[in-house]
Amino acid sequence: MTDWNAMSDEDFRREVRAFFEREYPPQLRHILHRARWSEMKDWWRKLYEKGWIAPNWPRNRGGMALDAGKMVIYLEEMERHGVARPPDQGITQVGPLIMRFGTAAQQEHYLPRTLSGEYIWCQGYSEPNAGSDLAGLQTAAVLDGGHFVVNGQKIWTSLADDATHMYLLARTGKGAKKQQGISFLLVDLATPGITLRPIRNLAGHEEFCQVFFDDVRVPRENLVGEQDDGWTVAKALLGFERLSIGSPRRPGYAMNRLEAIARAKGLFDDAGFVDRFTALRLDLEDGATLYGRFVEQVKRGEPLGQDVSMLKVWTMETWQRLTELLIEAGAEQGVVAGVQDVAGVEADFLNPFYYARPATIYGGSSEIQRNILAKYVLKLPG
Amino acid sequence: MTRTDTTGAAGAVEHRMQLADSVADFTARGTDLARVRRLRGSAAEYDRAVWKKMAELGWLGILVPESFGGLGLGLAEMAIVARGLARALIPEPLTATAVLAATALAAAENEALKRSQLPRLVAGDLLPSLAWQERAGELDPAAIETRATPFEGGFKVNGVKRFIAGAAQADAFLVSARAAAGAVLLWVPRETAGAHLELEPLADGRSFGSLRLDDALVPRSGVAASGSAAREALDRAFDYGCAINGAELAGVMDRALEMSLDYLRTRVQFGRPIGSFQALQHRAVDLHIHNELASAVLEESVAALDRDPVAAVRSALASRIKARCADAAARITREAIQFHGAIGFTDEFDAGLYLKRALVLTAWLGAASWHRRRYARLTHAGGSA
Repeated sequence: MTDWNAMSDEDFRREVRAFFEREYPPQLRHILHRARWSEMKDWWRKLYEKGWIAPNWPRNRGGMALDAGKMVIYLEEMERHGVARPPDQGITQVGPLIMRFGTAAQQEHYLPRTLSGEYIWCQGYSEPNAGSDLAGLQTAAVLDGGHFVVNGQKIWTSLADDATHMYLLARTGKGAKKQQGISFLLVDLATPGITLRPIRNLAGHEEFCQVFFDDVRVPRENLVGEQDDGWTVAKALLGFERLSIGSPRRPGYAMNRLEAIARAKGLFDDAGFVDRFTALRLDLEDGATLYGRFVEQVKRGEPLGQDVSMLKVWTMETWQRLTELLIEAGAEQGVVAGVQDVAGVEADFLNPFYYARPATIYGGSSEIQRNILAKYVLKLPG
Repeated sequence: MTRTDTTGAAGAVEHRMQLADSVADFTARGTDLARVRRLRGSAAEYDRAVWKKMAELGWLGILVPESFGGLGLGLAEMAIVARGLARALIPEPLTATAVLAATALAAAENEALKRSQLPRLVAGDLLPSLAWQERAGELDPAAIETRATPFEGGFKVNGVKRFIAGAAQADAFLVSARAAAGAVLLWVPRETAGAHLELEPLADGRSFGSLRLDDALVPRSGVAASGSAAREALDRAFDYGCAINGAELAGVMDRALEMSLDYLRTRVQFGRPIGSFQALQHRAVDLHIHNELASAVLEESVAALDRDPVAAVRSALASRIKARCADAAARITREAIQFHGAIGFTDEFDAGLYLKRALVLTAWLGAASWHRRRYARLTHAGGSA
């Protein structure tokens, strides 16, 4: 088995890039929507067979065991080539949590099936009344003999209709703080009493669902970590997510389109447009420089602090402004649905705009990130 | 400060940390805002004794080659010094003299002139300013109306140079002029007959000099550079000046934001520290993000400049620094006034000093919007060639 971390960064980058360029389905490059399992299952298979489906997992679990620096390169190359994320929350989220907090039996059962794509996971955190204030969740799990009986509902569950399993947070007790009394459960979505209602988003796609639980019996052995201590389990993953979510590559693609369209339409002869375009371009490039600082920190093996939140705020808000200028650059064509031909350049104006909207909402809204920065970085009083 | 041999990147990091420490030590003991206030609007504008101390610490020679008595270090080191000193709002003309004038003179061709003047500049005994600009908003160092006509082997110079920083106590001016064969860079001592200096007061209590030259004579020995060498010296000086001006803006914004945050933590209204209000917290966070962006861009870009890239890349890097730092400093110093409320609008409170320094530094050597346009032009994307 190859020790990827022993390779030079350049060699590793070259190998990853070559593989993506050779093997990734070209029609799926730079897609804007959230990739579905039906689109991605062949690619998953290919990655699985090569041993590359879980870059973050240890080798004895079938992963690549990349260190943080190599992980950043892997993600950068994905973004560079426009490789979509498959429904990979099993790999990025629940897998690592099971490895850290799960029992030997849970690890033996779930990890290989997650790796092979037999089990596809979705995340059951948000509820209608628990979004940014996640700890206010009300879905109840009551112990009844060998089972937890789950009642309640989850919402904004991405790709729930592609998933076979859900990892969810449910209330099992009451503590002094509302973060206490929450437990982390693994649920087979085929269990009786579960109903899915797909929700159509602004882009017209059904990528997330509302999930209803009606006396759903979840075996007691599906509890991960201690009962009532699920918050600790869920919290263990943050940091790195805010780094990858704050990567400047994704808005980079919208910038690339904007530039192509502006050229085709002669917008660079308009001094007003040039001013706005260049300001945005520098916002993006300067954000990339800031991102680079955090990447260096990760590569040095230092843990990321709360200050990484600033990347998500800056990158996502810059991305939104970019897609707003893109619509404006399209003029009347900017609001026509579907791919448009603009003086020989193909462009989809509306989808980038739509998909940039929730970027300041998911993964901790911009407001929540600012709260975090105010409290933990600026040490402002509560 | 002496040049110590640093081995590898770790050595450089260590060395720069020591440099930052010595700057912090200097600003803690060698200057304060009472001194800054005393010198505001005064004819002296800055203190030659303080300038001499800065020279003794080696800072005036950071960009001057060792063969001319300098340290032969780079913009990375100069940025550390400029940023640290700007926190304390020192009025001494570090960028005007130790960056603009020093860079132009070091890049000039006249070896005898360099041998005689650069060591004195480094020692703090001679304070020259670069007199390159003529019209407001015209930032091309080659846009020169001042005429140099041949006279007894040297030149007779006529014209007006404006917006000369550090002019108040300048001992000499490096003047750009147009001769028949192209640009020339001329050494004009302050007492030269026909050279008349006037000072225009600035928002921050310092001044810009206007230098009127009426048949001012420059001997052959005072011709620092001509033609493409003069042009290159001016361009390089302008770019380095912009970069270090950005470092000064960073120092100003660092301190202004600290002051604001301290105030948010301690000022009580409605029975709570005002920093507990989310509306103010989020604005403070946005300023912090701008501060961090400016810091990241400054550090990365001066490092790139120290690798001495081709002229177009050099200018783009300088513009990138100036655009980001000017924009961030403007936001941070203006919000500092708002955060402090009525006291922020008083002359006795220090936030206004930071606002005014940021105003001057931003307008000098090109506003953010000008630099963004230059960046667009130099990097093609968005530039209509």
